[in-house]
Amino acid sequence: MSAPGPANPGSSISYNQNSTPNGGAAPAYQNGPAQTNPSVYPPTGYYGAPPLQQSYPTIPAHSNPVPSKAPLTNSGHSVNYYQNNHQQQQQHHHLPQHHVAASSYSASPSQPPPPSITQYNQQPFQQQQQQQQQQQHPPYTTPGSYYGQQQSYQAPPPQQQHPSLVPAPASGTGAPIYPIVSYPSPQGSSQYGTLSSMQSTTSTPGVMPVQMGAPLHQYNTSQPASTPPVQPGYGVVLPSQTAPTVNGQGSTAQTTVQQHYDQSHQALQSYDSYGRVIHSSGGADTERTPSRTPSTSVHSSPGHHKGMQYGYVANSGASSAATSGPAASAAVAPSSSSSDEDDDDDDEEDEEAGGDTSSSTTGSASPVPNNYDSLEGGNYPDSMPPANDMTNQAQPYGNYGYPSMQPAYLQGAAPHTDSSPAHDLYGQSYQQSSQPFPNMSQLSAALGGLSGVPELEVEALRPVNLLQERNLLPPRPLEAPEPNLSADLKKVNCSPHTFRCTLTSIPQTQALLNKARLPLGLLLHPFRDLEQLPVITSNTIVRCRSCRTYINPFVTFLDQRRWKCNLCYRVNDVPDEFMYNPVTRSYGEPHKRPEVQNATVEFIASSDYMLRPPQPAAYLFVLDVSHNAVEAGYLKYFCESLLKNLDKLPGDTRTRVGFLTFDSTIHFYNLQEGLSQPQMLVVSDIDDVFIPSHDSLMVNLKESKELVKDLLTSLPAMFSQTRETHSALGPALQAAFKLMSSTGGRVSVFQTQLPTLGAGLLQSREDPNQRSSSKGVQHLGPATDFYKKLALDCSGQQIGVDLFLLSSQYTDLASLACISKYSAGSIFYYPSFHYIHNPAQLEKFQNDLERYLTRKIGFEAVMRIRCTKGLSIHTFHGNFFVRSTDLLSLANVNPDSAFAVQMSIEDSLADSSLACFQAALLYTSSKGKRRIRVHTLCLPVVNQLSDVYAGADVQAVTCLLANMAIDRSISSSLSDARDALVNAVVDLATSYKSSVSNLQQSGLVVPSSMRLFPLYILALLKQKALRTGTSTRLDERVFAMCEFKTQPLQQLMRMVHPDLYRLDNMSDQGALHLNDTVVPQPHLLHLASERLSRDGAFLMDCGNVFYLWIGKNCNDMFIRDVLGCNNYASIPPNMSHIPELETPLSERVRAFLDWLQDNRAFSSTIHIVKDNTSAKTNFFQQLVEDRSESASSYQEFLQHVQRQISKDLTREQTD
Amino acid sequence: MIALTMIARVVDGLPLAASIEEDEQSGRDLQQYQSQAKQLCRKLNTQSPDRCTLEAGDMDFHYLIAQGICYLCLCEASFPKKIAFAYLEDLHNEFYDQYGKKVNTAMRPYSFIEFDTYIQKTKKTYVDSRARRNLGSINTELHDVQRIMVANIEEVLQRGEALSVLDTKASNLSTLSKKYRSDAKYLNTRSAYAKVAAVAVFFITLIIYLRFWWL
Repeated sequence: MSAPGPANPGSSISYNQNSTPNGGAAPAYQNGPAQTNPSVYPPTGYYGAPPLQQSYPTIPAHSNPVPSKAPLTNSGHSVNYYQNNHQQQQQHHHLPQHHVAASSYSASPSQPPPPSITQYNQQPFQQQQQQQQQQQHPPYTTPGSYYGQQQSYQAPPPQQQHPSLVPAPASGTGAPIYPIVSYPSPQGSSQYGTLSSMQSTTSTPGVMPVQMGAPLHQYNTSQPASTPPVQPGYGVVLPSQTAPTVNGQGSTAQTTVQQHYDQSHQALQSYDSYGRVIHSSGGADTERTPSRTPSTSVHSSPGHHKGMQYGYVANSGASSAATSGPAASAAVAPSSSSSDEDDDDDDEEDEEAGGDTSSSTTGSASPVPNNYDSLEGGNYPDSMPPANDMTNQAQPYGNYGYPSMQPAYLQGAAPHTDSSPAHDLYGQSYQQSSQPFPNMSQLSAALGGLSGVPELEVEALRPVNLLQERNLLPPRPLEAPEPNLSADLKKVNCSPHTFRCTLTSIPQTQALLNKARLPLGLLLHPFRDLEQLPVITSNTIVRCRSCRTYINPFVTFLDQRRWKCNLCYRVNDVPDEFMYNPVTRSYGEPHKRPEVQNATVEFIASSDYMLRPPQPAAYLFVLDVSHNAVEAGYLKYFCESLLKNLDKLPGDTRTRVGFLTFDSTIHFYNLQEGLSQPQMLVVSDIDDVFIPSHDSLMVNLKESKELVKDLLTSLPAMFSQTRETHSALGPALQAAFKLMSSTGGRVSVFQTQLPTLGAGLLQSREDPNQRSSSKGVQHLGPATDFYKKLALDCSGQQIGVDLFLLSSQYTDLASLACISKYSAGSIFYYPSFHYIHNPAQLEKFQNDLERYLTRKIGFEAVMRIRCTKGLSIHTFHGNFFVRSTDLLSLANVNPDSAFAVQMSIEDSLADSSLACFQAALLYTSSKGKRRIRVHTLCLPVVNQLSDVYAGADVQAVTCLLANMAIDRSISSSLSDARDALVNAVVDLATSYKSSVSNLQQSGLVVPSSMRLFPLYILALLKQKALRTGTSTRLDERVFAMCEFKTQPLQQLMRMVHPDLYRLDNMSDQGALHLNDTVVPQPHLLHLASERLSRDGAFLMDCGNVFYLWIGKNCNDMFIRDVLGCNNYASIPPNMSHIPELETPLSERVRAFLDWLQDNRAFSSTIHIVKDNTSAKTNFFQQLVEDRSESASSYQEFLQHVQRQISKDLTREQTD
Repeated sequence: MIALTMIARVVDGLPLAASIEEDEQSGRDLQQYQSQAKQLCRKLNTQSPDRCTLEAGDMDFHYLIAQGICYLCLCEASFPKKIAFAYLEDLHNEFYDQYGKKVNTAMRPYSFIEFDTYIQKTKKTYVDSRARRNLGSINTELHDVQRIMVANIEEVLQRGEALSVLDTKASNLSTLSKKYRSDAKYLNTRSAYAKVAAVAVFFITLIIYLRFWWL
């Protein structure tokens, strides 16, 4: 809604700034593209590209919508989301018009909409003209129009025609912004030429439509879609818009609009529908009533076997089952009797659920009421408890959690306490009783509306105009926001590395959540390597009797003998054993027990949690030994690595290992103790695989260690002469399944090519010409369900399959990945792996393998996530199999994989001030111990939109959106997913502007807590997984998607938005001192090439790889002291390590690198990037704020978003 | 064929070690047997007979209690009892050697799961028919095998349950008798009232009769 006027000065200022850092150097390089482009790349292909066609018509179409366009974009899949979403948006966009109308359009109140439209249309038209000009340009002048065009955003027309080839510094203003142009290799290698020429062409406005074209259509189509009952609502509102509104009027109008908004939204789906529309709006009602059994049993019906939707997709009955484990399991039990295969599953689930019943094998044995209705009244939010009960329940919470709370937060609890005279009843009962609570709350109730937000949040809520503020990054990598809790709770709360919520202040109602336009979800890293973890051995594990929640620091002790569950509010007894505290050896202090003092604990499970004796650690290695594999040469390095780490494999004396190799046949290895050497058994009947010998193929590692070593040393040579090119991966996996099914364990598959024989054979589906297509990417889903079915079988037998894909060719990872996705495995991918030609991949492979072999592992695991009643989990992301509504079956669990869940708010959370989430992971350790790791997270509940924004966790939101976008791009299309991401930014800015910031500020304003959101979304759009237009191999794209789903948040964020530091001028200011090493802390830099300078050295931390970029004029001392080379020219081109030199500078650099690596699971490789090496493209690709060959720069993106917002507004004004 | 082996502490039935069985070929559903075994270990106490065979369908449980540790195995009914007990003896000797002192301090279930390796090896020698012949000659001294008590697993497991059934029945009975008693009382009073009423009616009629007919 900001008119271009105010925005443009801002950007032009910044562009000018850009030119200063390396203005001197840039011009010299500008000649590069000008000479190389035309010869290498004929421009025709790009100018004729469809995006242009799409984009331009749509811009005029905006003012007069063309209904016939509708079917084009509104594909079947997107209907749900876009209808809902855009109806919301429409309603939404009313809001801004009330208070904003006065500001941004105040100049012309008499004719509000038209001027803005023309303004916006003008700009594209200019560009269009220009672009036409450009088409007519002879190739050599292309750069000219390119530079001119840049300035069209900011500068008057004369400057547009500025001949850019003039090497004067003044004309080079644009150059530093667009790095790829300004640092081309002088040789003009073909690769480079491609990049720059593409950039110059796509930098025309034709780029933007790739992103904005589609939304435009959809806005149009959503207009007819808006339902008649809603429109009267608009009708009421509209008059007040057109009249110049006074503030008072505006606010009243706003409330009416909000009512409309709220009402209609209860029926609609909100963000839930983003990923997939799963739970029907009716579902919320049915699950409350006793008839919920049918709704869950639908889920466990035969679909259970096929399970096509299960892995990611949520559960139809999802609803509130998260808090009602036993109830759900009881409901499942009847249907499970229909199939033997499911018996095991459900039993195990009961084991987890029905912990203290005596070895229950049927769901009905759990002693827990099947339904919430049978709980005591008053704890049940929608049964309207009497006021007295409500206080009982609200008051201890308020008291416990918020002894010294800020006024705004009290509003939730205050009314309850005030309304009842009995509030002191529990006030005295427990330790924190002496707070002057009632007075506080009365005061706050009085002040609540006026006093605004607490001080803490002022910073988080500060509106940030993104178009003006350029320095958004904090000096250090972003930390998770702290939830606004009392100090006591904060101290015990779960670490954000383990458990993170997208909103650290949970909105009270779904309506409020909808209004915030942010997704609600959790990001979990449950099996993370922890430095310290309280392990508790006790006979009885204290759990809530109704929802099976483990006792945790956020429960309330009513008195010595009773505690109230913080998830379902049931009052439970404290068992005798719990009265004794083993840590302090004292009696009668249940609240001092370690369970109640730590949010992350691990219990040693009793035998009730075991369905069978704990399995031994079992590892089976399935190795591809076809010609292709031998060519790539991985086998030798695998064997070396395994030999080295054989003793470090997690396990005890029972550890079992086995090997299986395959090409067109399957080879087993008899390693039975007592043999003189390993025996190879070949099974050539791949159509009906059988196991040649039963007890000698998986052998005890300790007893057969010599034989295993023998095998590993001889294996690489055994197949060196093979000519067999076929690969029977499917049958080999079937064999592995049969071999492991009696124990369960881990299967590691190494595959180097497309499976060509037997079951599960695959065809190449990738069309290399489509790699850079911007239209959409096909074949993101599996080609066959063979791998998925096998994975589900594996999961049932507690076998996890990990996939190592080392290939140079297309290998259809989309299909193969299923084997790991559903069996909770991990996927590793090494594109174009070759042991000689690709040392970088080899090093990565070796590093990964070492970590993989030695990292912790949990077997036969299940994980359940419970949350406070009223919240419900509906979609899971990650690698697992959803066994029942809220139980994730993890055949193997490893410390490097993470999970995400999406949640919705089913009931108002008004009657409690805290919301809690508990993830319990039951697993068998490699030493045969059954353990339960429990994480509990506690967050405040708020009822103000501003508080929701203040608590938003931008990184978590980004990661959750990334997960949702991946789902969406597989289920619908990539462009849909991208649009949805852009819309997320638009929605946020619109809703923030309309509802929270009452500043009459123009420009793109977001809350400070979310100021990095557009940047992160832009970075996401430029990731391999989601980018379009750039040549991306299908396998790499699919792998990037898999990583999005399973990487923990920190790692993912570093991949999406790497950290950039300048290393050559590190000072000791703010340095960390860790065990007598000084770790300097350089400032974080924006990922824009304007931040780079030619005389510096910059480190980019991309999570699994570091790039150290050395500027051409980098001072020789740094090169000498750190890299050990004399000068820039003598740095070898493929340098990939930092030598250990004795110089202080080197020590500091290495200390810093070590420190960065410290908490990382997989050790990262480092690449020294010089200007003329090929790694440079990788480095510059990560500079997400720059314009790239097919995607816009950050500023352009912001302008696009802003245009999008004002478009929504103007359209609604014309309506 | 020995399908399942389990070692547990008798005092509280805590499982100490067990052997994962290969049910690949037999395809039997061992789940049920496993839970039975678990329950059995919980039921056993120091008063239980030292050696016992429990029939469970076409399978037999054999158990042996020594030094407060129970060794339990599940075999096909056709598997010679003598061998089964020899096998349990063997396990006991080895297990007690290795872990005997630690048994009483064990806290968590399956603390000595590593014994599984030995169990599997031993099992193999006893199951293998050729090796068995040799063993058979060694273990002839196990002559009292015939006197080992045989019972049905269901009976053993349900022994406790029967008592509780009896208990509920008795309590039902007592509530019923209480009810009967109150009912009887009520009836008694009712009949007494009826009698009084009848007499009263008779006298009133008499009086009326006397009043109107005699005067």
